[in-house]
Amino acid sequence: MRTRSVIVAASIAVAAAIWVGTVAASYRVIQRFETTPGRAAAAPKSWPAESSLARNHDAPTLVMLVHPQCSCTRASLAELQAVIEKSPRTLRTYVVVYRPRQEKPGWEQTDVYTAATRLRGARVIVDEDGREAKHFGTFTSGQTFLYDAAGTLRFQGGITMLRGHAGLNSGRADVIRIANGESGKGSHPVFGCSIVGRSERR
Amino acid sequence: MSDIAVDDPKTAERAAELHKEQTDVRRAKVDKMFAFLLIVEWIVCIIAAIVVSPYAWEGKEHVLHMHVWVAILGGAGITILPVMLAFLRPGTTLTRHVIAASQMLMSALLIHLSGGRIETHFHVFGSLAFLAFYLDWQVIITATVVVAADHFLRGIYWPESVYGVSNPEWWRFLEHAGWVAFEDVFLIWSCVFGQREMASAAARQASIEHISEQEQLKTAALEMALAEMGA
Repeated sequence: MRTRSVIVAASIAVAAAIWVGTVAASYRVIQRFETTPGRAAAAPKSWPAESSLARNHDAPTLVMLVHPQCSCTRASLAELQAVIEKSPRTLRTYVVVYRPRQEKPGWEQTDVYTAATRLRGARVIVDEDGREAKHFGTFTSGQTFLYDAAGTLRFQGGITMLRGHAGLNSGRADVIRIANGESGKGSHPVFGCSIVGRSERR
Repeated sequence: MSDIAVDDPKTAERAAELHKEQTDVRRAKVDKMFAFLLIVEWIVCIIAAIVVSPYAWEGKEHVLHMHVWVAILGGAGITILPVMLAFLRPGTTLTRHVIAASQMLMSALLIHLSGGRIETHFHVFGSLAFLAFYLDWQVIITATVVVAADHFLRGIYWPESVYGVSNPEWWRFLEHAGWVAFEDVFLIWSCVFGQREMASAAARQASIEHISEQEQLKTAALEMALAEMGA
């Protein structure tokens, strides 16, 4: 009887240690995951001539590059919707969806892709093997660029405040401000999955 | 209020005994209900993580998403202690306080897995209502402290994840905790009222037992007297 009590007490003590340890570790892991930005873009200062996307010469052009399988990118698209709603209708918006060449047809047809097609006035382009991503120097899903009518880069970075979290943030505010004709430039950390694989990074 | 005054000390003692016994039985049952609920929530967390964000991607390569690991391991860590206590130490004060804290931590996990969706915050309010089944107001306080601590600490180190803005006012956690406290007032009142109702029911039962006992003694005395007269 006494042995059983000791075993029960020891089991509860072990479970309590696991409980405390797991809670602390979970908070730490989640915080690190959500607040660590992806690799920033090395975007050209002027609209890349080799890009197949047509730039708007009368108004700003916004380009967001996304990985269709990245669940965190849903938040970026939710923010992009807010940007479009608060920008002039003349803003030209591209959502460029990454697609590896060797993947089966339809690989890119995810809820992220569907959400992109539902954005008002956005043109959704499938980017075979990330060619456009390379032209824009993009590494991370959700990376957004805003070029003005003259083709000068005015904003680069993400428009979410954390990985997978939509909400007010300075990236989104900067894009809206510049798209509405205010002067200045902006940048913000980008949060999302990597568009470029480990083997392609070198 | 339907308090029953019990004058006889023996009856009062029996009423207290019945009240404790019935409260313990009720709380042990609620412990087991929460053990089951926590296991179900853990499974739901894993399914939600697998459905919503199964993989993290690097180009065409993918690995299991951190959310799935947190749902499996974090969820297990949160669940293991309260479930063990519910079966090994049912009805104890420690068990229900650990369950209250764990249920709130499960809310935090669900909120995180849903990407901070405001709708998932309703889990906190539903959980507080379930915790009132214990009819122990102190359990509600424990749960509230855990929610407030979660918001306070995240508000300091990681405010975007809880408030949706990166520079909230220092007192913002008090606003969130205030809404919880709003519900707490009524839940605490219902716990105190529920306990009084149970005490009244126990007193009624003890009085009935006492009267029944008295009647049985009278009947026995009468039968004995009749038997003596017959002899």
